[in-house]
Amino acid sequence: MSAIQLTANGLALGASYALVALGFVLIVNATGAVNFAQGDLAVAGGFLTVALAGAMNLPGGVLLPIAMAAMAGFGVVFAYLAYFPLRRQPPATVFISTIALGIVLENGANGLFGAAPRLGPPLLPGGPVELSGLVLPRQSLAIVAVTCVAIAGLHLVLMHTQFGRRLRATAQDAEMARAVGIPVGVMIAWTFALATGLAGAAGMLLSNQFFVAPGDGTNLMLKAYIAVTIGGWGRVWGAVAGALIVAFFETIVAVLLSQSAAEMLLYLAVLGVLGLRPRGLFGETIGRRA
Amino acid sequence: MATAWRRHVARVAAGLNPLYAAGAVFLVVYAQVFANSYDQRVLAIAGIYALLVIGYQFVFGHAGALSLAQAAFFGLGAYVTALLATRLGWPFLVTFPASLGAAAALAALVALPVLRLESHYFALATLAIGQAALAAAVNWESLTGGSVGLGGVPPPSLFGFAIAPGTRMLVLIWGLVAIGGAVAWLLIRGPRGLAIRAAREAPMAAGAVGIDTGRMRFTLFVLGAAYGGGAGALHAHLLGVVSPEVLRLPVMVSCLAMTIIGGRTRVAGAIIGALLLVHLPEWFRFAERYGPLVYGLALLATIVVAPDGLTGAATRLRQFLWPESPPPPPEILPRAVGLFHAPAEIDLKVIELSKQFGGVAAVREVSFALRGGEIIGLIGPNGSGKTTILNLITGTERPDGGKIVLNGEDIAGWNPHRIARRGIGRAFQTPILVESMTALDNVALATHTAVTAGLSYPGRRLAAARAEAASLLGGLEIESSAMQRWAADLPHGVRRRVEIARALAARPRILVLDEPAAGLDEAERNALRTALRDLAAQGMALIVIEHDFHFLSGLASRLICLDAGQVIAQGTVEAVRRDKLVEAAFFGPTAGADGAP
Amino acid sequence: MRLIQTNVAMIALAAAIVLVHPASIGPAMAQTATIRIPVLVPLTGPLALEGTSQRNGAVMALSNPPAGVRLEYEVLDTGAAPETAVNALERALARGGVSVIVAPIFGAQMLAMLPIAAERRVPLITISGTAQLTEMGNPYVFRFFPNDSVAKNAHALYVVEALGKKRPAVLFQTTAYGQSGRQHLAANFARLGATVVFEEGLDINLKDFLPALIKAKQASADALVLQLHAAPTALLLRQAASMGLSLPIVAGSAMHQPTTAALLQPAERKGVCAESASSPVSSVDPAVERWVAAYRREFGAEPDDFALTQYDGVRMAIDAAVQGARGPEEMRAALASRSFQGLAMAYKSDGVGNMAHDAIIMCYDDQGRPRIDRRYPRLG
Repeated sequence: MSAIQLTANGLALGASYALVALGFVLIVNATGAVNFAQGDLAVAGGFLTVALAGAMNLPGGVLLPIAMAAMAGFGVVFAYLAYFPLRRQPPATVFISTIALGIVLENGANGLFGAAPRLGPPLLPGGPVELSGLVLPRQSLAIVAVTCVAIAGLHLVLMHTQFGRRLRATAQDAEMARAVGIPVGVMIAWTFALATGLAGAAGMLLSNQFFVAPGDGTNLMLKAYIAVTIGGWGRVWGAVAGALIVAFFETIVAVLLSQSAAEMLLYLAVLGVLGLRPRGLFGETIGRRA
Repeated sequence: MATAWRRHVARVAAGLNPLYAAGAVFLVVYAQVFANSYDQRVLAIAGIYALLVIGYQFVFGHAGALSLAQAAFFGLGAYVTALLATRLGWPFLVTFPASLGAAAALAALVALPVLRLESHYFALATLAIGQAALAAAVNWESLTGGSVGLGGVPPPSLFGFAIAPGTRMLVLIWGLVAIGGAVAWLLIRGPRGLAIRAAREAPMAAGAVGIDTGRMRFTLFVLGAAYGGGAGALHAHLLGVVSPEVLRLPVMVSCLAMTIIGGRTRVAGAIIGALLLVHLPEWFRFAERYGPLVYGLALLATIVVAPDGLTGAATRLRQFLWPESPPPPPEILPRAVGLFHAPAEIDLKVIELSKQFGGVAAVREVSFALRGGEIIGLIGPNGSGKTTILNLITGTERPDGGKIVLNGEDIAGWNPHRIARRGIGRAFQTPILVESMTALDNVALATHTAVTAGLSYPGRRLAAARAEAASLLGGLEIESSAMQRWAADLPHGVRRRVEIARALAARPRILVLDEPAAGLDEAERNALRTALRDLAAQGMALIVIEHDFHFLSGLASRLICLDAGQVIAQGTVEAVRRDKLVEAAFFGPTAGADGAP
Repeated sequence: MRLIQTNVAMIALAAAIVLVHPASIGPAMAQTATIRIPVLVPLTGPLALEGTSQRNGAVMALSNPPAGVRLEYEVLDTGAAPETAVNALERALARGGVSVIVAPIFGAQMLAMLPIAAERRVPLITISGTAQLTEMGNPYVFRFFPNDSVAKNAHALYVVEALGKKRPAVLFQTTAYGQSGRQHLAANFARLGATVVFEEGLDINLKDFLPALIKAKQASADALVLQLHAAPTALLLRQAASMGLSLPIVAGSAMHQPTTAALLQPAERKGVCAESASSPVSSVDPAVERWVAAYRREFGAEPDDFALTQYDGVRMAIDAAVQGARGPEEMRAALASRSFQGLAMAYKSDGVGNMAHDAIIMCYDDQGRPRIDRRYPRLG
């Protein structure tokens, strides 16, 4: 009983880390730059759905695409503020510009919505689901389902569409892509839109399951960063696996030892993993950047 | 001696950006005349951050590694001072060095596993160190006071003077900034500065001239940590408390932002970045809870306007206000410098050398010997293992079997810089230069003064190193105007010769060249051949990979022909050229006899 | 006796001033007297929620001055770090003429500000619960909130005596608030003869409370005692409800905040109790009800205990000003010696600056509405 609930919680948490990590990986691949505001973007998405749910009485299933589209649009604005003016600069410069925008987002949310944690709208109405005697929270299942759909959709788009091929070509070698006539700037703007849309989805799911407060972005970002790195920098599947590993590691150590031990050991384990496998658990596909 | 010192000071003063000098004067007047206790406190904090950032520049700016552990060293320094001062009552003269030492010791401890990681993996590993330190400070309540922290840290006391926050504290902090800044400035000047840049931007080339890039990264990392520990100690004294906030991400973010806003490698940049970013939130206090938002926007705007930092902008402004005349052509040493101090004896024996790549044998039991004055030509079709042999000899790859014995010492598997220091120099198939340096400095960085300086050398011999470099480049018939150009702008033929000059600057006994004539025109080839012949005549030994029999025929004393990783022929140029196996390897079994590919 | 002497001396002094400065005679003088009270509280960072309540409470008192004083105030954000708080303090002091300062709820910031307050001789009024602050012999700190030794005394008393539980499990946040609270909970449980069967520190960013809840259950705890901030408290209660945990839960002061309760369904908070100094929204005192209505009008938000006690603290300082206290030293003397009937409770210093000595336990009823269940006046 408790093992199943622990698993459901861990999966839901891992899935939401994964959504943040996915957006992070997309931007890393396309630009070589780390978007340190990815967590704050998820928080912004959370507050957006809180505001939307307050303004109009729509079911969660309708709110989700609206929030994702709005966040995707904001992603393009974000790219024009934090990335495009600095695209010829070393990656660490973009690192700081995204941190600056992250500060703006966090304190914008604090100013507009106040510091109190808020409860986002549910994706599905109703309480827990009973499945052959097991009580499973509906929202945990919804998070896992949405994440699976997002990953599958991303995979389809990247691998089986002309758009996806252009996106991947840009990610692999921007110079070459430009040479064969791919509008690299447009592809990068699309990448930011996709990544931010995913953050919007993460924000909505998180804000209902775990509430949302202005300062939540940093912790999400840390977890996503760990997930992406131990998953092998730039690997989409590695990031998802990394996110689940992080979530389950935390849960299992918290059960066996304590939560503060889980926190400490997570970081020591990261050091250990990198000591043994300097390029993460699942290697690295793209070349050296930064 | 005194006049030399005075001349040196004059040169330094002349090199100082007048904008910085004016800024420094303004700051002193402001701090002393106009600043109230609030202004002084903000200035004191800016000074502490300036020290932290100067240290961080060693790692992030000079070693080029995005470390996210600087706040951990800062916090450790703060906690060490707080604990020693409150629990044991130790004086500043003990606690301050202890904070420095503790941070440096932690850095040295974690350096081993962490420093070999690349870019993002390094960033995450250092972030993990910082977060682990934070978790320890929060949870180890009996030692650290938990999240509330430790209070009652007394002001530092020096020679009986209690240095309370205010003017005295300001003098102490900014005095230490001045000392720390001067030390940093001295350490990164001169030929050593060139070597550090080479290690950062072209580590392969740096290793090939004997620069120990690993040790350099280690030293810079530990040194940066020590600065961080010192800054943390001062922070504890200034505030009188230490809490886990000193270890949290915002401190690290501020440090990184200050470095980028100020400038990555300039001491002035650290100071400007710290002053600006410590004052910005104070200026925006009127916005109450929107203050940090305005701060974030200002930060973003500054980065977009001056992406290479405010010192970069200041340098451009200075160029605009007081245009600088182009530097004079390098003075060439009057005497023809002994390029390599008459290599006493050269005896290289390659014995049954083997190397596999993923089960494919790239080199199979290759043996040959080389003596001073000899030039061996290494030929063979593409993929026959020529470059791999050079990589094994120079340490870029580790052999799977066999020995490389240089004057009785087996150097197989050594690191490239150790092999380079034993006197084996190399040029790469595609020249690897530090693109952001002039041709001259690319050679100067490899001179003896630069490579062996370590971190103990005060760094005043840049002119000597450049003169040595100029005579080497001149010897390879490179115009002095070309010497002053950025490496990135040089034509291919010049790049090749710059690389050879760089290898020579390290005074090798054996020179290893990978297709040195490729891409050169006829005149350049002839000049190169003459130069190489001269080197051999002076007693140097050379190994030259080349496809062109014509180029080798007047040059090599012996040819070794490889095919599929094995030696298939050895002997004089003529003998090898007529060898049936060689013919078969080059032109297929049925092809005709004569001609080069 | 001594008090009377002081009063006589002061009247004599006032008479002397009036005689020497004929221009300052009468109510005109009282009208122009300006009292500067800077408000230094965290408006951003992890304690922005509590800090904003502090600000609102202080501003409510400061923007409605009684006749006889003119009040001047500025609000400065102390952010997340002690450094920012000290900068704000120095900035406020540099302007001069400060009578008393509203100081942040964050213990680590207070710790850094205290020596400066003592050196510059300016009293700080705070609602920080960190017990340590009043244990260092600093005469310039005044706490208008039950310190942890009082609040956790009530917390433990309720668990042991009212609920009759002897095997509590304690879950605390690894923050200044949580760690200081845990220390006093442990001491009080030990004193009351209860055994803490399980104890764990939880990070403020933690999202998954199941491991801790399961372990508390496995340790066969008979009550769950929380010392967590707002969002973690709500999240824990929700996860406890979803796993069907049937233990009685007595939360810390975060649970009394209306914003915390708003995160939960009525069913999820049903039966949950919380320790607090007061609960303005569930008060039946007409004066408090009027105050709550005014607060809602002014800030469009639900007031909590932090806002009310901070309001009371500032009111006491204003009251002292009305009574004639002007400079910081007079203000300190007044705060140290007077008593004051505030909206939440009566305040009087215990000699080291602890002004508040009452605590309450409030519980959410079957409809999820807050009710004051028990009062613990005059503790410690």
